[in-house]
Amino acid sequence: MKHSKMTLSAETMNLGFVKKVEQLSGSSVRRCFQCGKCSAGCPMRSFMEHPPNRIVRLLQLGQFERVLAGRSIWYCASCETCTTRCPNKVDLAAIMDALRKLSWDAQGPSKESLVQLANRLFIDNIRTYGRQYEMRLAAVFNLKSGKLLKDFMLGPSLFTKGKLKVFHKKNRNIGEIERIFSRIEELRRKGEAT
Amino acid sequence: MSRIGVFVCHCGENISRTVDVEKVAAEAGRLFGVAYTCDYKYMCSDPGQNLLKKAVAEHKLEGIVVAACSPRMHEKTFRNAAKAAGVNPFLCEMANIREHCSWVHEDRDEATAKAIDIVTMMVERVKRNKKLQPITVPVTKKALIIGGGIAGIQSALDIADSGHQVVLVEREPSIGGHMAQLSETFPTLDCSQCIMTPKMVDVVNHPNITLHTYAEIEAVEGYIGNFQVKVRKKARSVDMAKCTGCGVCMAKCPQKKIPNSFDKNLGFRPAIYVPFPQAVPNTPVIDRENCTWFKTGKCGVCQKVCGPGAVDYTQEDEIVVEQVGAVVVATGFQLYDIGPKPAGSAIEGYGEFGYGTIPDVIDGLTFERLASASGPTGGKIVRPSDGAEPKSVVFVQCVGSRAREKGISYCSKICCMYTAKHTMLYKHKVHDGQAYVFFMDARTPGKGYDEFWRRSIEEEEAVYIRGMVSRLYQKGDKVVVMGSDVHIGVQVEIEADLVVLATAVQPREGADTLAQKLGISYDKYHFYSEAHAKLRPVECATAGIYLAGACQGPKDIPDTVSQASAAAAKVMTLFARNELEREPIVAKVNERFCVGCLACRKVCPYGAVEEKEIRDRSGNLIKVVAYVNPGVCGGCGTCQATCPSKSVELDGYTDEQIMAMIEAL
Repeated sequence: MKHSKMTLSAETMNLGFVKKVEQLSGSSVRRCFQCGKCSAGCPMRSFMEHPPNRIVRLLQLGQFERVLAGRSIWYCASCETCTTRCPNKVDLAAIMDALRKLSWDAQGPSKESLVQLANRLFIDNIRTYGRQYEMRLAAVFNLKSGKLLKDFMLGPSLFTKGKLKVFHKKNRNIGEIERIFSRIEELRRKGEAT
Repeated sequence: MSRIGVFVCHCGENISRTVDVEKVAAEAGRLFGVAYTCDYKYMCSDPGQNLLKKAVAEHKLEGIVVAACSPRMHEKTFRNAAKAAGVNPFLCEMANIREHCSWVHEDRDEATAKAIDIVTMMVERVKRNKKLQPITVPVTKKALIIGGGIAGIQSALDIADSGHQVVLVEREPSIGGHMAQLSETFPTLDCSQCIMTPKMVDVVNHPNITLHTYAEIEAVEGYIGNFQVKVRKKARSVDMAKCTGCGVCMAKCPQKKIPNSFDKNLGFRPAIYVPFPQAVPNTPVIDRENCTWFKTGKCGVCQKVCGPGAVDYTQEDEIVVEQVGAVVVATGFQLYDIGPKPAGSAIEGYGEFGYGTIPDVIDGLTFERLASASGPTGGKIVRPSDGAEPKSVVFVQCVGSRAREKGISYCSKICCMYTAKHTMLYKHKVHDGQAYVFFMDARTPGKGYDEFWRRSIEEEEAVYIRGMVSRLYQKGDKVVVMGSDVHIGVQVEIEADLVVLATAVQPREGADTLAQKLGISYDKYHFYSEAHAKLRPVECATAGIYLAGACQGPKDIPDTVSQASAAAAKVMTLFARNELEREPIVAKVNERFCVGCLACRKVCPYGAVEEKEIRDRSGNLIKVVAYVNPGVCGGCGTCQATCPSKSVELDGYTDEQIMAMIEAL
């Protein structure tokens, strides 16, 4: 996919998808003139098969399949270095957010990627406990991902430093947090939130 | 003469870094005839010049040698200083110890020794210099403009408005040039015709402008202030005085299928025609190659229908001689042709783009005619092959430009902007169409230019792809474009309905021949050379000849108009004087020794040598000798080198002086 020839025509360029990304992110995609400053400063660049500037370039050509096929958008740490430094006011971090959202909704090719799994467990934890419960997050993640011993040796040192707790207290205002989640779900049902 | 001052300059560190200037000054002081020497950091500065003036007064100096930079740089500066100090300026000479010495040598001792030699030679020369007086020549206050495009028109109007006479010569039947062919102009998208035609009408109506259309320059003689120009007015076959421009002849002409070159051969015209309806002058010409009367001797329809009887088949080329004081060259450009390499051309064609055989591959100017409201389609954008509206158009930039392999290494400057404009014009006319642009770089330096280019991408939704196209080929009724997006690193293929190539800007064919007639220089591409790239950008090295527009290098309309007005201002500066002072470095004939062989006349590149008869008091011819017209002589010295009897010498460069300089070594 990465090296295959690209045929451009009104049919192969999904410019409707680009409009959706622009709407969601509130940032222009066409405005980017490929200076490459985003990729130059991106701390996650070495993990991505498409660096940030290429993501935007693929979007400009309406090649959303190529964008979503890879894991690049999930490696983005949302540090916003790109957005802060962009000379042309392209909010790349917001575009990455929008792409992740669209990938998720579209049951995108990387739906089952570990990053997405981690994201989901993270949110589930917040909803159940009102705060992050690291021990549970790690345990469930390792179970579900099938990588049972992943980062296992980090446990003891985190434990002695008090970063991991076996038993976890729920947030006192767990009811209020549940109300936030319910409200977002309701808004989504009505189509008022994305 | 025995009181010479030698002034050695450090030129900051330019000279003193490699040459021991103090030693040069000290050694010069020992030379016979040198009365004063000194060295100074910046001799050309105000304090440096004052040093010179003071020394002249205090030491009663009679000759000056300034050991510094090239005479091309500061000879004038120091001669003016010498004049102010009361010394004849031609007794002041430069010893070039910068370009000829410090800049080209590394060894300090050797460079210093050479600098001393150079100074010694110049001292010997100054000893033998004569007090020369500048030559004055009259100025004919009438300008010749070659080329009636926007550059020539602007220059002509500016000079004519200042009250001077102008002769405008245009090769085509109408003035207007390329700008008259354009649809709309960047970066404001105003209609080219709407801003151009009023200026064309101003030219023809201006009392100070004489217009010669369908005419070419035959020969140019003379020098600044005094040129004689022969203009060949090609036979129009229509009497301009009688013709009313009614157009009946064009309507009745039975030849209707001659491709119209003004419309890039997209439309047709009759054999008697004006190139376009807004032509100035609105007088038709007969294209004798295609006219039935001239081919077979039968027809004559246009003559029969012409009410005022203006059609005249017997008309012949006419030579008009104009006396002018200045020439503005504004011959403009043409577009590179991707077709096969013509014989004798250094420029290659494009085999990978089909050598111009694919009908739906056109150049930028053809697209302009398609998009123009006055064009052959009335402004409707269609494909040349089948007249269908193209739904996908691919624009390719840098075709021919920046292609060393094809023989052109320069950037054509206007293509980035006009391609952006084309994408907009296309989108405005074909709303559901998609424009693609293959580009290597986007070069948009100009007021409002980058914003314009960005607008074509961000608002008009043109898809720009960075990368050059490798190949174009026909597939069914589509043209397949094979390119690459270098940002992503993948090959890109587009099946296009129409491909527009932004081909390189080249000087007009025949630019070199005209330059030879005018005696001006040109570069390897045949663009005319300015005297100095930064400080004298509108003047030729040949005095009295100025440049305007794309004949000097690729230029857009704003730059062309600016340069045209600048050239006009230079002409007005020249015309502000009644007489010109010329350097008196001219050849003089020793009539006692001249045998009248006139070998000098044969070699003189300026045509300055004439015959002169010497008679006694009763009028008997004693002998014929050569005479050098000081107003025409360019001071090149060719006659001096040629003369077998050594009887012609250039002032300031006599054999005696040269020999003395050599002997001083």
